[in-house]
Parts: sequence; structure tokens; C-alpha cells
Amino acid sequence: MSVPTRLEVVEKVRKDKKGVAAVFPIHYPRELFRAFGIHPIEVWGPPKVDTSPAMAHLQSYICSVVQSGLSFYLSGALDVADIILVPHCCDSLQGLGSILKGFVKKDRPVFTLYIPRGKRREDIEFLKEELKRLYENIAGFAGFKPTKDDLFDAVIKEEDADKLTLQAYEVHRKFKTSSSEFYRLIRLREYLPLVEFEKLVNEFIQKKYKPSGSVGVVFSGVLPEPMDVFSLVEESGGVVIDDDFASLRRRIYPLGESDDPFERMAQRILNAPPDAMKGSSFKDRENFLLDIVRNSSSKGVVFYNVKFCEPEKFYHPILKDSLKSANIRSIVVEVDINEPLPQQVKTRIRAFIETLKRG
Amino acid sequence: MSVAQSLNYHIKFKLFGSRIVKWQANRAYKNFKEPKNWRSDILASPLKIGVKTKELITKHYLEGRYVNGVKPVAWVTSGAPVEILKALGFYILYPENHAALCGARRATLDISSEAENRGYSVDICSYARTDIGTMLSGKTPVGKLPKPDILLACTNICQTVLFWYRVLAKHYNVPLIVIDTPFLYDNAEPHQVEYVKNQLENSIETAERAAKKSLDFAKLKNVVKLSKEAAALWLEIMERGKNVPAPISVFDQFIHMALVVEKRGDAETVDFYANMLAEIDERIEKGIGAVVNEKKRLLWDNLPIWHKLRFLSEFLAERGVSVVASTYTNAWGELAPMIDVNNPIESLAKTYIHPILNRSAEYKLKVMERMIDEYKLDGAILHSDRSCKPYSMGQVDQRNRLVTQASKPALLLEADHSDPRSYADEQVKNRLNAFLEMLGV
Ligand code: SF4
Ligand code: SF4
Repeated sequence: MSVPTRLEVVEKVRKDKKGVAAVFPIHYPRELFRAFGIHPIEVWGPPKVDTSPAMAHLQSYICSVVQSGLSFYLSGALDVADIILVPHCCDSLQGLGSILKGFVKKDRPVFTLYIPRGKRREDIEFLKEELKRLYENIAGFAGFKPTKDDLFDAVIKEEDADKLTLQAYEVHRKFKTSSSEFYRLIRLREYLPLVEFEKLVNEFIQKKYKPSGSVGVVFSGVLPEPMDVFSLVEESGGVVIDDDFASLRRRIYPLGESDDPFERMAQRILNAPPDAMKGSSFKDRENFLLDIVRNSSSKGVVFYNVKFCEPEKFYHPILKDSLKSANIRSIVVEVDINEPLPQQVKTRIRAFIETLKRG
Repeated sequence: MSVAQSLNYHIKFKLFGSRIVKWQANRAYKNFKEPKNWRSDILASPLKIGVKTKELITKHYLEGRYVNGVKPVAWVTSGAPVEILKALGFYILYPENHAALCGARRATLDISSEAENRGYSVDICSYARTDIGTMLSGKTPVGKLPKPDILLACTNICQTVLFWYRVLAKHYNVPLIVIDTPFLYDNAEPHQVEYVKNQLENSIETAERAAKKSLDFAKLKNVVKLSKEAAALWLEIMERGKNVPAPISVFDQFIHMALVVEKRGDAETVDFYANMLAEIDERIEKGIGAVVNEKKRLLWDNLPIWHKLRFLSEFLAERGVSVVASTYTNAWGELAPMIDVNNPIESLAKTYIHPILNRSAEYKLKVMERMIDEYKLDGAILHSDRSCKPYSMGQVDQRNRLVTQASKPALLLEADHSDPRSYADEQVKNRLNAFLEMLGV
């Protein structure tokens, strides 16, 4: 699969005289940016960057996603962006937003978005207002305001992309296609223009596959970094058949119901799969995890956790218990997105796949 | 309420327990003596009101032992808008205060290991680990904690509390009220305050159900008034630190703030702080400083290191350093002017969205700079608290700005508010010594 890099996409967007927004994790409406003709590019880390610039601002006990993100910003790599967005999804991202806005200012706006920790009526109402605030902020930068129809149109396109992504997951589950390739494809949504992403996903869906005999395992966590883990699983005779990653599965937003584009965007985010970063209940997370494990006929779950990611850590003991009562094995491993996979993590994952193979 | 529970409560707490504690406290107050090994060469005598602090806290936990089945019980986060629950007659427990007490009594390691053995990572806030440890094992230095009938978590201090309270809600199988307070990178916008107000209004029904009674708005107004009075007095007490020498240090404040956190909304808390203020004013009149030979005055940022209060207080006092003000203790007083007794729900929404922990790192720096100026401080110690990411993130820049913009020496001190494993004695001493040298002491 030959796909443009992030930089190439940015150059192309620039050539088309469009704006670029660099977006930090986790939840935000892509459609809102697209309605302004601004191309959102997500900053998930990135992995394996030199984090020394961030060390001048952060303590060592802050997670590597924030360390990398800040380093990337400080190194000038995000200077190609016209706007920075930091959604509020955890205490560490809150701190990152605060540092970007207060202490390492550059000559480009840093917008924030507070994701409410619930899905009550008042949460939807609030998020709707937050999205309007973000809309006004972007409009201030862009110099125009998309109409309600433009916004609605952008929402529907994004909903279509979500549906398509779910179809790709189904194909992957059914045929146990290569997890490295599947996840490389799905992650392209982090930066590719929508049409290009959909084209590649359609190609994936239409290809013919022979079902593989690998043993299926589900991964849960914030993001699949380091990504080498997929080859490791495959080399051991397994396949990452589905996931409960905040960056992936938990961001396949469902269709909204409202005719009001802001309310619809809010519904989509808050009614999406449960997520630690939206403060979801244990019950919701248990149900979701059990559902994807059962639907994929998987035999085990790997909690692939970023070191110092407190939100995820709170859920592990209870989620592990629920899995155990459902006769599903699980392990928790800790990684740093800037470091190669530790030998000990490799050994544990290999051994885990072996036990799953033995049934 | 069962007859047995009621009898137990009335006999063991009302009739005997609380009276014995009060009698002991009155005696201790009358024959007030410095504790053994008190370093009176470097520190002023402890405040006499400390006897009262101990009495009120002891009574509070004692009541907690017998209160189940007699009063509805709520467990709440430290910055939660507790006034509605108070007005409904709940007994209120603050797990963070309990965890701080465990920290001060050096019980954290033992209790939090119960949570760690159950799979809760050491990277989780040590308050949460301690409390989950107590939940799992029943271990606590206060005898026994009452079971909650309802939980109230407010995100105005951190997101950690949300996960922690979900663990509690699952374990105790009780309703959890979440009051989500959007983080303020800038000033609060109307929709943000409105959101908090809506949640407060909607929480009333759940709280009433747990209390089995309706909210009396006249009572609510009275509780809000008492909260405001206690917070305002607390602010005045802290502001007395502007005197040179400072009559109280932050180490005193860390102890005596327990009541403004744990018992705000009670009439006896207002009386308590009025008496405390009078005692402090007496000190000022007599020219007594908390540190006998005050040479330098400092600011403390972030939570205390509960298990090292005495050591730090003496180490600094020995060198003539008084730590006079703190962003942490200030947080419990600074919002008092925002509370509008005649407009309780809306003003609670506005007040509880504004704590320093819910505001940007840049705002916190401004508070520090203002305090340094107003309290005539020579420098700052910023406790980089491994457990508390929301308070600690931004401190590296804040320290640098204090040094470069305010030209004040500032030290970033790595530790944890209650987990002793993140604290290295020798390293702390070396860092403090080097810092004090820079201050010229
Ligand atoms: S990895 Fe966890 S702690 Fe870090 S930014 Fe993501 S959610 Fe927050
Ligand atoms: S210490 Fe910090 S992280 Fe822990 S409960 Fe308090 S505010 Fe939250």
C-alpha cells in the first residue's frame, strides 16, 4: 500500500490553499474542521521522537504521549499547522493545553475543547455549546462561517466514513487479515483527507482473503504504539483481531440523531464506545469489551498501557475480573511510546499468545 | 433506622464518646502544655486551638463509626459542592482527608499496598490508593469508616476522583453523583457555569432520594452562609501571615485547614475559626512569630508532604526560614467572596468551578506572584507531587518564571504527598540546603 506521508499531505493541503489544524488526543469532531475546509492532522505522540525538549517543561512522571507531543511542538514540527487543538481528555492533556497556552506560546492559536464526563442531557447540551465556541474560534481564524447545511453535510460525510471503518473491522475480524497492515490502514484516518482514506478502505474491503488460522487477541489501551507489537503478535501465531483503543475503536462515532449539526456532533462523541477519557462507567466498559471479544471469537485481551496513563490504570483490575468471570484471559503490559518494546513485554506477549493457542 | 443502630449511636457517640472527647479537650486546653520534644528553641508554642482541631476531627471520625443507619452518609471529594448534602442532613466523609491523615500517621504504605496487591498501580494517586486500600481491607487509623449511601465526585480538582469514585460506587453499590466542572484555561464562560448549575440542580433529586427527605431551601441558604463565613475567616487567618514575623506557618495551616475542608457549612466551624483568628491576633500583638528567629519567608506550592511535616517544619525553622503562605491552603479561602447566600445554587456553581486546581498553570503562576508580593516572600518551594499531576504540571515553567521574572529563588522539590517511597531523605536535605544557601541562610 503506497500512501502519502503526513508531510506530503500537508504540502498538498497547502498547495490547495487550505488550512491545517494539528489536533492532540483524543476526542474532537473532525467534521467541524472539514466544514471550514481546514484539514485536521492528529498528533498521537508521535512515537520515537527526542523528548528532551519537553523535559524542560515536564516532570518525568508524565506519560510519553504528552512528552512526545510537546517535544514535537517545540521542535517546530507543528509549525506547518495554522491552528492547534487540545481536547481536554485527561489531567495530563489538560496540563499540556495549559503549558501550550501559557508558557510556550507560538504565533498560532491554541484552541481547547472540554469533553464532558457523562452522557446525560446536560452533558450533550454543554458539549453542543462547547462545539459552538470552537466553531466561533475557528471562524475567527478562517474569516467565515460555514452554514448549517455545510456543517450538516460534513457530519454526514464523517458518519459515512465511520460506517465504512466498521465494515473494514468486520472484514478484518472475519478473515483475520494481517493486523500490522489493517491497523496501518485504519490509522491513516489520523491524517489523510477523507476521500483518500475511504478509497483505501474500500480497496481493503473489496479484496479477496483466505481466512487465517491465527489465534485472535483483542488489544485495549490508548493507542497502538509501539506498533511493532502487531508483528510480534503475528510472529507468535496470533492476530490482533479487534481493539478497544481510545485512538481507534473508541473513536468510531455512531450516527447522530439530531437535525442540529452541533447537537449531532455532541451526540456522536458522547454516545461513542465507552472510554476512560470520557469517564465511562465500569459497566459500560465491561460490556463493550466483552462484546468485541465475543464478536471476534477472541480468546484473550492485552491491556497495552502507556506508562503513567492513570485513567486507563483505574479500570484494569475490574475489567480483568469481568474478563476472568467470562473465561477470557488477559494481561497488562506497560509501554513507553518512545522506547522500543521492552524484552520483558515481548516475552510476556509471546507467552500469552502461546497460552491462547493451547486454548 | 434500626433501633439497635440508633441506640448504639446515641450511647456510644452522643452520650459517652463525644462527651469524653470534649472533656479531654477542655482539660487539655485548660492545662495546655507543649508536646514532648517540641523544639521551642526554633518554633513558637503550638496554637492552643490545636486542641480544638483535634477534638473536632476526633469527634467527626468517632461519629462516623456509629452513624450508619442513623444519618445518611455521603463520601465526597475535597472540592465538592457539599452544601446541598449538608442541608439534607448527610454525615459527610472526605476520603482525601482520611488519606491525608493516613499519610500524616505514616499508615499509607500498609494500607495502599492492599490496593496495589489487588492490581491498582503505584502510578495512581496515593490518596486514591489509600482509600481503595481501606475500602478493600477495612484498615484505617481511625477505627472504622462508615459505609456511604451516596457518593459525590466533583472534577474541579482532577479527573482522578472520577475514576476513584467509580471504584467506590461499584464496590459499595451506591449512586454516584458527578459534578463535572470544565477546566478553565481562561475566564469562565456562561455556558460553563450554566453546565455546573444544571448538574447541581439535577443532583438534588438523587440526593433527596438517598436522604429520604426533601431539600429545605432555607436550610440550604443557612449552610451556604456558614460555608462562606468559615471560608472567609480562613482567608483572614491566612492573610495574617502578611505580618512580619508571620504568626502562623503553612505547617500550622496544613493541620488546621482540615475543618474548612471537612466541616464547612457547620456553625461550630465558624466559631472555631473565629477563635483561631483571635489567638493569632494575640500572637501578632505579642510579636510572636511561628518561627522564633524568622530570617526568610517562603511560599509553598502544591499539597503538603504529609509524612514529613514535622521534619520539614523543623529543618527550615532551624535555619530561620518560615514558610508563610501556600497556594494549597489559600484555595480553601480565596473563593469565599464568590459565594452569594441569596443565590445559592448559581453561586455554588460559580464558586466551585473556580478553584485554583481547575484553572490554568498561567493563572496559578499569577497567584504565586501575587502572594510573593503581598506576603513579602523571599522565594518559593514548589512540591512536585508525583501523585498529583494536575497540580504539578506547569511547575517547571512556573519555577523558571519565578526565577527569571519575579527574580525570586524557587526550588522544585520532588516527592509525593503521602507515599514515602517517592521521597528520599538525603536528596531532599541536599536540595533544601543548596536552595537555602542561595537564599543566604
Ligand atoms: S496516554 Fe493517558 S495520560 Fe497520556 S495523554 Fe493519553 S489519556 Fe492522557
Ligand atoms: S492529590 Fe491530586 S490527583 Fe490526587 S485526588 Fe487530589 S487533586 Fe486529585
